[in-house]
Amino acid sequence: MRKDTAAGRVTPPFERLLIANRGEIAIRIIRACRELGIESVAVYSDADVDALHVQAADRAVRIGPASPAESYLSIPAILDAARRSGAQAIHPGYGFLSENATFARAVEQAGIAFVGPPPATLASLGDKLAARRSAVAAGVPVVPGLLVPLEDPATVDLGEVGFPAMLKAAAGGGGRGMRQVDGPDEVAAALETARREAISAFGDGTVYVERLVAPARHVEVQLLGDRHGALVCLGERDCSVQRRHQKLVEESPSPAVTPEIRAAMFDSARRIAATVEFHNAATVEFLLDRDGEHYFLEMNTRLQVEHGVTELVTGVDMVAWQIRIAAGERLGRDVVDIVPHGHAIEVRLYAEDPWDAFRPVSGAVGAWRMPDGPGVRVDAGVVADTELPPEYDPLLAKLLVLADDRPAAIARLRRALDETLIGGLQTDLGFHRWLVDQPSFVSGAYDTDLIGDHWGSGPAPTSDRLELASAAAVGARVTSPPPPPQRAAADSAWGRLARREAIRR
Amino acid sequence: MSDLEVVIDGQSVEPSDGWTFAWIDEAHGVAQLSRDETRATLLVEGSGSAWVVTVDGRRLPAMVRTWRERTLAEAEVASHASAGPLNINASLPGLVVAVDVAEGAEVAAGQSLLTIEAMKMQNEVRAPRAGRIASVAVAVGQTVTKGILLLRLD
Repeated sequence: MRKDTAAGRVTPPFERLLIANRGEIAIRIIRACRELGIESVAVYSDADVDALHVQAADRAVRIGPASPAESYLSIPAILDAARRSGAQAIHPGYGFLSENATFARAVEQAGIAFVGPPPATLASLGDKLAARRSAVAAGVPVVPGLLVPLEDPATVDLGEVGFPAMLKAAAGGGGRGMRQVDGPDEVAAALETARREAISAFGDGTVYVERLVAPARHVEVQLLGDRHGALVCLGERDCSVQRRHQKLVEESPSPAVTPEIRAAMFDSARRIAATVEFHNAATVEFLLDRDGEHYFLEMNTRLQVEHGVTELVTGVDMVAWQIRIAAGERLGRDVVDIVPHGHAIEVRLYAEDPWDAFRPVSGAVGAWRMPDGPGVRVDAGVVADTELPPEYDPLLAKLLVLADDRPAAIARLRRALDETLIGGLQTDLGFHRWLVDQPSFVSGAYDTDLIGDHWGSGPAPTSDRLELASAAAVGARVTSPPPPPQRAAADSAWGRLARREAIRR
Repeated sequence: MSDLEVVIDGQSVEPSDGWTFAWIDEAHGVAQLSRDETRATLLVEGSGSAWVVTVDGRRLPAMVRTWRERTLAEAEVASHASAGPLNINASLPGLVVAVDVAEGAEVAAGQSLLTIEAMKMQNEVRAPRAGRIASVAVAVGQTVTKGILLLRLD
């Protein structure tokens, strides 16, 4: 694809970097380290002894039991691993400790570089409610709603917010701690669930409320800034294909964003960034309504799952730049003046069942055939025959395509999905294959309700596909070893059947 | 082959004619069907009479049995089916974060019984039918594996 802006370097920014994460993102960061000449240190829990990221890294350090709280979320365990391995920097990836200000502060106090924004920035933006207030002060539009925590719904007039409304965790992200309420009588029960989920996911049960903007698109602006004041907007990503308020598909540029809307969103993103001391990578998320008005949602001060979409259209290696920025390098003119080119789409391959409300599934991956060829990128955290630990996120891989324009990107994605085979467990691959033929997705005129409005509980297989499947099942049976001999219980079943038949006569 | 009956996802499906079946990677269930010049690669996983065929990305259970095997299996099921107590087992592994009912409680069909957190999601376990809670086998804070008994419903 494009020229790698990190290529041709002589002095690595760091000698050794520890990756405080697992799965596909750990592998992505290991790849960046390799290209920069940095030795990578993986960490792993007892559930990940044989994990791919452990095999891929130059070094690997055990940090604790399978439970995330005792391993990937344990600040002492990760700092200890960093000290023992002599790492000069820590990249937190996304999720886990990536937006934890206490962690970032502890890393810096240990004399280790934190690959991310300053700890104080994480703290102020991590509180979504405080960020809302900062946005209002900076003149950036926000979704109408409360600017203070929702404590006792009985004492608050929610009529001003309006229904339907969304309850959101102040410490939230990733769709957790979020609940839709359609009327005042639903608030108390939903608040309870949202709090419980928020406490469990973030250790903080503060919840606030804002009006539901629907139909809407979810569009985010990618920021990259160095420690010397340079800040660049690396285009936007449209993340409107969602289930449970979590993203499944992302694309750049957004089919809904005109040059005027883009200019307004970039201006808002820069204003939000200016409210804090900012460097490294961050994403400013907005809702975009039908009239093209945007509303600030939150600023995520970390690498996003979907960063690859931006890398494809800009040619900027964001992970490498995160590391270089952490080492104090300046963004080059080639990055600051970048003009995105082409169209990129990412689909997330999850172990989940789209025909059962996208419920996560556990188990082991069997067959694993990923697509290849022009304009295709796969960031995977598993290979064939990988057992999935139930403790962690069920993201298996991200499949990305780049082409000259949107129709070509969709055609390429359709081709890539047809090359993909995943066995052993149910995945969302079939949903993505359906999506690329879905008229509202193909036209670009879709919003966050696409799954609810058009997928529902999923299409039933057609009769000719079933007949083909039937032929395959027969073929499989007759070409594989015969089943083991009938058990004794089966014989008694024959006996019972015979007795019943006898009584009937 | 004509003596084999195929039931996919609970419905009887006649195999379409004329396909030649060949394994590409038998250990992983990757197979190819060909008919004249047409080719289709698909996943068929399992053994004996129990298979899972992936159709348009959806995993569907496929039973391939002779008449004798099917009759046997149905007799087996019939001999065990009765309207007695119902065990509610964990459909996924995770952490029990809430138990909403106590022993002896009368519950309605669809009522939330407990919540299991898995893959960072809260999953409510609901009553499949109305009844009385005979026993609660788990407590808040307990980690459960898939298939473990959660509650018994009378």
